[in-house]
Amino acid sequence: MTDVHILGVGMTRFGRHPDSDASDLGAEALLEAIADAEIDARAVEAAYCGHVFQGMVTGQRILAQVGLAGLPLTNVENACSSGATAIREASLAIRAGEHDVVVAIGTEHLTSRFRGALTPDPSDPEAAVGATMPGVYAMRARRYMEEFGMTREQLALIPVKNKGNAARNPLAHFRTPITVEEVLESRPIADPLNLHDCSPVTDGAAAVVVMSDRAAGRFANGRTVRLAASALRSGSVDVEPTSMTFEPLTWATARDAYEKAGIGPDDIDLAEVHDCFSIAEVLRVEGLGLFEQGSYPTAVERGEADIGGRLPINPSGGLIGKGHPLGGTGVAQVVEVVRQLRGEVGDRQVEGAKVGVAHCRGGKAVGIEGAACTVQVLVR
Amino acid sequence: MEVETAVSFRPGELEVDSSGAGHLLGSRCASCGAHFFPVRQACAGCLGTDLEAVRLSTTGTLYTFSIVRQSTPEFEVPYALGYVDFSEGVRIMGQISGCDLEDIWIGMQLSLSVEPFGEDEDGNQLSGYRFRPTEAGSGGGS
Repeated sequence: MTDVHILGVGMTRFGRHPDSDASDLGAEALLEAIADAEIDARAVEAAYCGHVFQGMVTGQRILAQVGLAGLPLTNVENACSSGATAIREASLAIRAGEHDVVVAIGTEHLTSRFRGALTPDPSDPEAAVGATMPGVYAMRARRYMEEFGMTREQLALIPVKNKGNAARNPLAHFRTPITVEEVLESRPIADPLNLHDCSPVTDGAAAVVVMSDRAAGRFANGRTVRLAASALRSGSVDVEPTSMTFEPLTWATARDAYEKAGIGPDDIDLAEVHDCFSIAEVLRVEGLGLFEQGSYPTAVERGEADIGGRLPINPSGGLIGKGHPLGGTGVAQVVEVVRQLRGEVGDRQVEGAKVGVAHCRGGKAVGIEGAACTVQVLVR
Repeated sequence: MEVETAVSFRPGELEVDSSGAGHLLGSRCASCGAHFFPVRQACAGCLGTDLEAVRLSTTGTLYTFSIVRQSTPEFEVPYALGYVDFSEGVRIMGQISGCDLEDIWIGMQLSLSVEPFGEDEDGNQLSGYRFRPTEAGSGGGS
């Protein structure tokens, strides 16, 4: 079976784009990815497009803008893992031998669809009683504080780190570093989480070009990164109440990915993880096996997760700093890891990085721990 | 016994009798005994499909909570949101009422309470469930 390789990546600036829509942004990212791969657009054989709230046939509107209409195209919805799932589907089409050159796009024009706190689907019984995503993560934060003694100040160090990294990322939504005091004094959203603990409402898109061994040989551009694993799981139903301070879904998906890639947590040089809220980063990295359960808050305090630390987490700025255009997020994470492994990211570069991981997790439905989780392993 | 279903929730989720007392309805697997909320069509434990609808117990223990200060327009903020563990082995999310927001703590005992809960499109009052401190109320919607 062929390996899967990423030869081209593209990403719009993340932020507010009042004069564009999701297809404009997707088209911009896709054209950049094709140019970055140094291929003729006619080489692209199939496309997958991840988005959440952009309506029917968003992918077709993107392809129509760039002259590629006519290709087999699949629109993918998996909540905040939509874009990451599009990459997985593209990789499966390559591994199956059906196609040699496939593009995966993730896009979202969230500011025109949505404001305030994201909630589960209105049909969900938890939405009916007032569940919001900040509320759900706030409850997990409170439980984690109770079980592991994490302080509010320790939790605030995560947005401080991520917005600090975002200040070094020209494509990030936020470009201004913040302090612990600013996190603690920002508007309360769901106790104990404040505004700076939350990822913002962001517009943006990203795209990648993936290829088989054969195509990667033919189009070799010297910047190839191997997608060694692209694992996906959906959340299982709890048969009895389980801990909300550990993520079996993240760990199960990570285990699948590590096994496929033939690596373990100790081999990883950097990770982009789904920090939709400050507490989420804690749960993600511990669920991925990168830090022992209960240890991450003190590790952050010691600088272990900084660029230049033992294991940099979210050097792009993460969802909190870079922004969180739902469908675009999972693809943008992979774009960041690819650029890190290529050594292209300037003053936020993780020196000598060879193996990177992108973790995405999205959605909420009653009775399940999480809806969709992806873990992708990239190797240079 | 006269039974009506509160219309602010999915049909069959909350049962309210003529005295105003309520029960949440879940599923019990006839094969392995696992309970689920809400009602399921097959058991996530053993995959058995012989599930019966059961009334869940009405008193449980608060696992964790938050005070929600930003929400959707249907909900007036702030409100307390919590996860409550019940003896059948189910954890159910609901709002917490009947006490000050500062007096909520992990581990407290809470009882199901049927209360006015929002309005329909025509402005008619709907009923739904919240959880109240067991010491502070009957759990029957008082």
